[in-house]
Amino acid sequence: MLHSLFKAFTNLFSKPQTLDYPATPIRKDKEYRGLIEYSETDCIYCLKCEKACPPGAILFTPTDQPSENEKNKKALEYHYNPYLCIYCGECVRACPKPQEALWQSNKKQPIASKQDAVNEQWFVLEAQHKKFYNTH
Amino acid sequence: MSKKTINIPLGSQHISLLEPVRFKFECENETIVGVDSDVGFVHRGVERACTTKFKYDTIGYVVARICGLCAITHSMSYTAGVEKLLEAQITQKAKYLRMLLLELDRIHSHMLCLSHTAESAGFEAMFMRIMGDREDVMQIQELLTGNRIQFDYVSIGGVNRDIDTLRAKEIALQLAKLQKKIYGYIEEFENNWSLSLKFKGVGGLSLEKAYMFNAIGPLARAAGLAIDVRNEIDYLPYKEIGFKMQTGSGGDIHARNTVRLNEILNSIEMCQNILEGLPEGEIFTKVKGKPQGETVVRYEAPRGELMYYIKGNKTAILERVRIKTPTFSCIPAFSDIFLNQSYADAPAILASFDPCLSCTAK
Repeated sequence: MLHSLFKAFTNLFSKPQTLDYPATPIRKDKEYRGLIEYSETDCIYCLKCEKACPPGAILFTPTDQPSENEKNKKALEYHYNPYLCIYCGECVRACPKPQEALWQSNKKQPIASKQDAVNEQWFVLEAQHKKFYNTH
Repeated sequence: MSKKTINIPLGSQHISLLEPVRFKFECENETIVGVDSDVGFVHRGVERACTTKFKYDTIGYVVARICGLCAITHSMSYTAGVEKLLEAQITQKAKYLRMLLLELDRIHSHMLCLSHTAESAGFEAMFMRIMGDREDVMQIQELLTGNRIQFDYVSIGGVNRDIDTLRAKEIALQLAKLQKKIYGYIEEFENNWSLSLKFKGVGGLSLEKAYMFNAIGPLARAAGLAIDVRNEIDYLPYKEIGFKMQTGSGGDIHARNTVRLNEILNSIEMCQNILEGLPEGEIFTKVKGKPQGETVVRYEAPRGELMYYIKGNKTAILERVRIKTPTFSCIPAFSDIFLNQSYADAPAILASFDPCLSCTAK
């Protein structure tokens, strides 16, 4: 009884266990798994990341204005859906040039609103991708 | 007093339930005399998806999403099964790192269960305290894997991330802090008067009944039945890192809590042993081929034995993936425990089972 009274009294002066966010920033380790980032100039267009991705959040679709990268022979364009991504890092492990062409940052995904039409745009890309691989 | 009984449902949505399950209680005054249960309110068709939509090497990530609390156990069991079919050799270091995360997962899952049993006994302060301390374990997991819940740590052939000395040191420090806190909980659960009113002698399961209803996990071990898959498997070297079987007696809520607390202590000890004696070597070996044949893998999830049956036919898509979860196996025992208990105790008893319905219905 005395012990608990003493504890109750000291608790009055102790700090709360919660963080005073956003005044106190939360800890963010360098190695935390966040968004996948891509460098177009270093990509060799082997499409290994696209095949390795479990939810299919990376797509290479044909484009009219291809980049000047000479490895891009099929005129493809890289697309990444941060809302579909599960941040497992399989794509980075499959990449022959990890940390140069494809790497995982510790950044959070942006917040999407209905006006962004994230899903609708992605469905169009998926349809394009399907059509391209059925014909090629 | 008339002998007329009334039916009172608990669930599928109820203030004391964390996940949807329905128990229909037949009550005579305040006492429960008949139980009927129904699970499967959160069916998501995971088994079907595993055999139609996803290739065998990505299913480890799919099954991890069955349950948030034992995500690593699911992906670990599946991966162990596929490795068995592909006859892959895993390095000792990868095995140790897998066990480290599995035990960390057990610690935070048991802490969640303990906090909810305390809450259902009306002890909100204890609930807050345990949940606050559980955050430390979550941070350790985040340091180790890069994520709090969905670890995505195990892949076919090894693990995805190595651990450096700085991190290992920090994890060991945090674990030592946690160990002290757990001793504090043991004292509280043992001696607190209001907790003992709700827990001691309530919701008991005898050893014979535990045998009869095929109970597993902490539920069976609290009744004195020494059953633990970690003691029986050989693909993870549990005996090297100091696994000790924890059994209790009486099988009531108090015994279950004690078994869980002792298991947390044993898990912390095992984690410390792993960090001290981590072998040198690679964490990943490349595995080639497609799975052919069938296999059964058992693993001890925080709630009991988890079983995976995998059948492959040398293509990228598997023929069958069958998942048998611990809560599903324990339902006959659950129903029996409720009999002759007071209806008012039902939420506390249910919380002490630590049921995981998203696993069960998958």
